[in-house]
Amino acid sequence: MTEAETGTDTAAEAPRIGVFVCMCGHNIAGTVDVEAVAKMAETLPYVAFSTTTMFMCADSGQQLIKDSIKEHSLNRVVVASCSPRMHEPTFRRVVEEADVNRYLFDQVNLREHVSWCHMRQPEEATEKAKDLVRMSVARAALLESLPVKSVEVEPTALIVGGGVTGMRAALDIGDRGFNAILVEREKKLGGQIAKLASVYPTGEQGNTLADQLIKRVKTHDKIEVMTESTVTDLDGYIGNFDVTVTTNDADKTHRVGTIIVATGIQPFKPHGYYSYGDHPDIITLAELEEMRLKGDVLRPSNGKPPKTIAYIGCVASRESGVKGHEHCSRVCCTAIAKSAGELKDNADEIIILYEDLRTYGKGHEEIQREARTKHVIYSKFPPEKKPRPEIVDGELVLHWHDVFSDDNLILKPDLLVLASAMVPPEGSEDVSKVFSLTRSPDGFFNPEHVKLAPLTTHTAGVMIAGGAQAAKGAAESITDASGAAAKAVGLMARGEVEIEATVSRVIPELCSSCHTCISACPYNAIAMDESQDPPVALVTEAKCHGCGTCAAACPSSAIMMLHSTDDQILAMVEAYLCAPMEPDGGAA
Amino acid sequence: MTTSSKAKTDSEWEPRIVAFCCNWCSYAGADLAGTSRIQYPPNARIIRVNCTGRIDTEFILSALDQGADGVLVSGCHPGDCHYTSGNLKLRARWAVMAEAVKQAGIDPRRIRLQWASASEAQIFADGVTKLIEQVKEVGPIGRSWV
Repeated sequence: MTEAETGTDTAAEAPRIGVFVCMCGHNIAGTVDVEAVAKMAETLPYVAFSTTTMFMCADSGQQLIKDSIKEHSLNRVVVASCSPRMHEPTFRRVVEEADVNRYLFDQVNLREHVSWCHMRQPEEATEKAKDLVRMSVARAALLESLPVKSVEVEPTALIVGGGVTGMRAALDIGDRGFNAILVEREKKLGGQIAKLASVYPTGEQGNTLADQLIKRVKTHDKIEVMTESTVTDLDGYIGNFDVTVTTNDADKTHRVGTIIVATGIQPFKPHGYYSYGDHPDIITLAELEEMRLKGDVLRPSNGKPPKTIAYIGCVASRESGVKGHEHCSRVCCTAIAKSAGELKDNADEIIILYEDLRTYGKGHEEIQREARTKHVIYSKFPPEKKPRPEIVDGELVLHWHDVFSDDNLILKPDLLVLASAMVPPEGSEDVSKVFSLTRSPDGFFNPEHVKLAPLTTHTAGVMIAGGAQAAKGAAESITDASGAAAKAVGLMARGEVEIEATVSRVIPELCSSCHTCISACPYNAIAMDESQDPPVALVTEAKCHGCGTCAAACPSSAIMMLHSTDDQILAMVEAYLCAPMEPDGGAA
Repeated sequence: MTTSSKAKTDSEWEPRIVAFCCNWCSYAGADLAGTSRIQYPPNARIIRVNCTGRIDTEFILSALDQGADGVLVSGCHPGDCHYTSGNLKLRARWAVMAEAVKQAGIDPRRIRLQWASASEAQIFADGVTKLIEQVKEVGPIGRSWV
């Protein structure tokens, strides 16, 4: 798109602002006197047209805006309606269809910020609405047309993490005809699943499952596998990232267009919980699985098969107020049931102590039912009174309170298995820094939107999939992988991507070369332009996310944040505080 | 009413508040306050900025200079910034801002920094109310040229 040409001349033209006040049915008009707001707007500087309508976002409302732009030669548009977080994209498109640059549009929030939260104060709400419109008009008069730019997308994806998620994503991308670079920190591909003896719901060995993917990934002509490697640096921007991959202390830089972070989960070592580490026969579920994968299940203390086994669920999971351990790890309830059901064939007694049970996935409930059919005993303990293992003369004694019998029970298990939490793997902090990803309190990476955009992140071009996003099982992780791969392929297939024009710009004449902006920028988007004498700061626009931190930090006021300039912001402040008295006497 | 506050008696006087909110957390939190029909005093006029890191000391001083009785800055919780760390830059700057306000002879109770996420509608609304209460303790801002 080359919107650049359509709007650039308007900078020279005098502003002709159209103000469109929306009633939103009764939502706004029920509280705010919209007619009075529109009438006041007519009196404001540069306002050439002002009106109200029932629904501005409806087709008729959109057409009204377009027709009015033509009829009144408007070159700026202010819509006073709902939150711009809802309809700014809609109205930007509308004005663009009428040949007004999208950045010459401003929206006033009369619904969420006025009518809905001051419902019992119609007069004050109307005054507030008038002030907000006045502020927006003042800003609109100073808005500048900005070019909509696009950059090419390199047809290669970087995938971080060689577990099932990363491998599935690499295959999807490779099969679609794009290049994939798969980076794995360990020596072998496969991740967590390759360490499982029996994967629910099918009961296959984890490494058998992983091997199917590993074989395909390794022989795929579009996929480059790099093991014992980590991504240590990221430069560039969506479509054109330069990633530094370090393998055995040797750095290599690759140019990629998209990135999928699939760093997965790891089982928590529950030191400090249920005497873990104090007795050899207290192990985690993950350790039990590894033991089964290597051979028979034997008591670490004496090498004999255990006859009585106890499991405890929710170990270091779902702990209110404990940072990093508040979440449900999602896989454990089903994994315990699967493990217990299978081991029951060779054990006399197996008991599962649980706080709550969540076998929610497809085929999971059946696994729990099968375990119960095999007489695996389930016993619920109260969250405030957790089971207490005791070591008496080297022997393990487990005390707990059973909720349903309201009785205190005792068992001497040969093996105590703790289903510990699934947490982000070590090194997640470094990954978050390299890719500018934020993390939720549980330590997993934040998606762009937890419900509506779970696979994309706030770093454009970087996707997350599987355990990187939250504790989850293999099936869900693989679904994520295909989704994230589709996102990456979508970007690469289009070949180019639009980038926001709302970036910061250095005014070289004012720059005092102090480097303050360079340290303020969270995206390393600013560097010194050494070709100038003296060197001055220079913003790489495609890397700039438009936060404006540099503009506020610059002691020389040498940085202009486009679409959010000092003048535009201060004009709003002034319009609110220094408005002239209204000739009609103010409040209606 | 905008310039008529001086004509009103103290009991009728309502503070005028300029509120700088970041787009991603607090502006969205204010949206949710509306969607949830949380009712709070109508004194604040929100100016949307992408990030609280965008907020210059000049914005605050200028608002107070032009007659704002209070200034609210509301952003994402530390660690939760849409731009990874803009709010931390603002927080670091806030100490200087508060000092600048004090040196200008203005009661620091007129400014307030708060963190309110997109889901913390009540915290946002309570923050506005709290600042209004603080400002009411101090009274209308003096405007030397009036």
